[in-house]
Amino acid sequence: MKRLRLDRVASQLLAATTSPAARLSRPSSISRSIPQTCRHASLYNTQPCQRRHQSTAASQAPLEEELFLEPQDGEPTPETLRGGPLPSPHPSRAASSAKLAALHARLSLSSKIPVETLARALVDPSADAHPKYNNANLAYVGSTVLHYYASESLIARYPRLPMSILFTAMKGYAGNPALHQVARAWGVESAAAPGEEVDPGLLQFDPMKPTVVMNKWGYVRAETIESQKFKSGKGLSGRVVYGSNPFGESSAAKALPNFEVDDGRNTKTMLLQNAPANAHANFVRAVIGAVHMHCGRDASKNFVKSHFLSRTLDLSNLFEFELPTRELARLCARENFEAPVARLESETGRLSRTPVFVVGIYSGRDKLGEAPGPDLDSARVAASINALKAWYLYSPGQVSVPSDTFAEDAAPWKPAYVDIGEIIS
Amino acid sequence: MTIRALEKISVGQNGIGSFILQCKRLDIHYCDHSGSSRGMNAFIKTHLSKFAQTHPAIEFAVSPRPRKHPVMIGHYINGRQKSICVANMEPSQILKKAELLRDASGDKVKRVNKPVTSVNESVRGIWSPYHGNGMAV
Repeated sequence: MKRLRLDRVASQLLAATTSPAARLSRPSSISRSIPQTCRHASLYNTQPCQRRHQSTAASQAPLEEELFLEPQDGEPTPETLRGGPLPSPHPSRAASSAKLAALHARLSLSSKIPVETLARALVDPSADAHPKYNNANLAYVGSTVLHYYASESLIARYPRLPMSILFTAMKGYAGNPALHQVARAWGVESAAAPGEEVDPGLLQFDPMKPTVVMNKWGYVRAETIESQKFKSGKGLSGRVVYGSNPFGESSAAKALPNFEVDDGRNTKTMLLQNAPANAHANFVRAVIGAVHMHCGRDASKNFVKSHFLSRTLDLSNLFEFELPTRELARLCARENFEAPVARLESETGRLSRTPVFVVGIYSGRDKLGEAPGPDLDSARVAASINALKAWYLYSPGQVSVPSDTFAEDAAPWKPAYVDIGEIIS
Repeated sequence: MTIRALEKISVGQNGIGSFILQCKRLDIHYCDHSGSSRGMNAFIKTHLSKFAQTHPAIEFAVSPRPRKHPVMIGHYINGRQKSICVANMEPSQILKKAELLRDASGDKVKRVNKPVTSVNESVRGIWSPYHGNGMAV
């Protein structure tokens, strides 16, 4: 498995640089320009916005000096930059927000994570499209960290999980609905509408504006667009190859319009199904990203383990079989077991209104599964489903995962057992 | 493809893996002049700053409520709130009430008559009449 290079991916989160490329990629609808007088190297004060410098914080005396500087030639004055209020609260207000401090303490976050970062994690791209003030970048880091730990724990714990179940289990642990519930369990409140005057401790998003859907990031194969057009690649192998997110969902057709920049093309594909859930989930991902960037890999692993992987998801409830008896026969053939045989183990009330038959499935002398049912056939089907679930949900118990070897004094990695795959019949 | 997956969301239980204090905000109301607020005013002066310092996860909001009894209102993560009128109470009694609000989950008070409530299935399994040697009638 390729090692994550998050430090390279997200280095701009810790040291904001104002590269010309970043300047060009900013949304055209927001016309902030970068004054050359930005000279403070801290994370939040090198922001490319003159208006943000109108801070009243006492510790930022140089900024106030700068405020009264005469604009040099070719440098836009604050008045010409933007007339209206800021789209999201000024970062300097984060330190004085009681809600934000309470949220920081409630999540038991380390003091290495500044409240300003937490405040930034609460700003959705739909509230503030500027990438240096919203949580899109942090959420991307957080989503990669979360998906990595979730997938490695699932695969190491359940090495025979079928691909479709693995995708769904990933969604159950790290998908938007699950993260929305986590955010609600953290007690995050959302603001009625985003704006400069909003308390920085409230989640800010605008359901009517474009945002960033975290599934749509990353590498998308060029042929995905074609396959979307002709509705191919919808099968499971297509989902594995073309799926652009860890839940096996291909979203290339929706990814085509740029979600960050809206020029009024309000097509159906651009409408987000559940904007509040997406904003809450992005906040949760951004918090994971902040933990990872400020406290390091071990802290983020602990955070993901304690808040996400500790949740309960009964994987045996996710299975839905079409032809379990045939699949069990194919499985036995593949594994060189004897062909499965159904045997009646016990029955009662055969001629009554409510008969019960207990059927066991045997392969030679080994009993693979057993189930009761109201008639012989459904009991046999239920028994083969139990036998298949017993196979697919095999777990070697507590095993080490690849990320355990990240530690300095870790033992070398011993390859874990992963099955060759499910039965395709 | 004979296996299809049914979408389910994982369920979190507070205290397993991580613990989130359920009381997120405590509103404290007092009156400057009324006698029923005497204890509350003393509580605000003597106990409150220490109490707030030891509970950084709770947002405290102190505001006057003239010509009314003093009240403490706890706001909880599940969206409910719990209010206690602390008229004519001593500061130590009010501290007890603040701790009560802090420790509450915000849920309605329920009668618990089972020793264990669990989402995990029983280790021993459910008794089945169809297994074993059966019973002679």
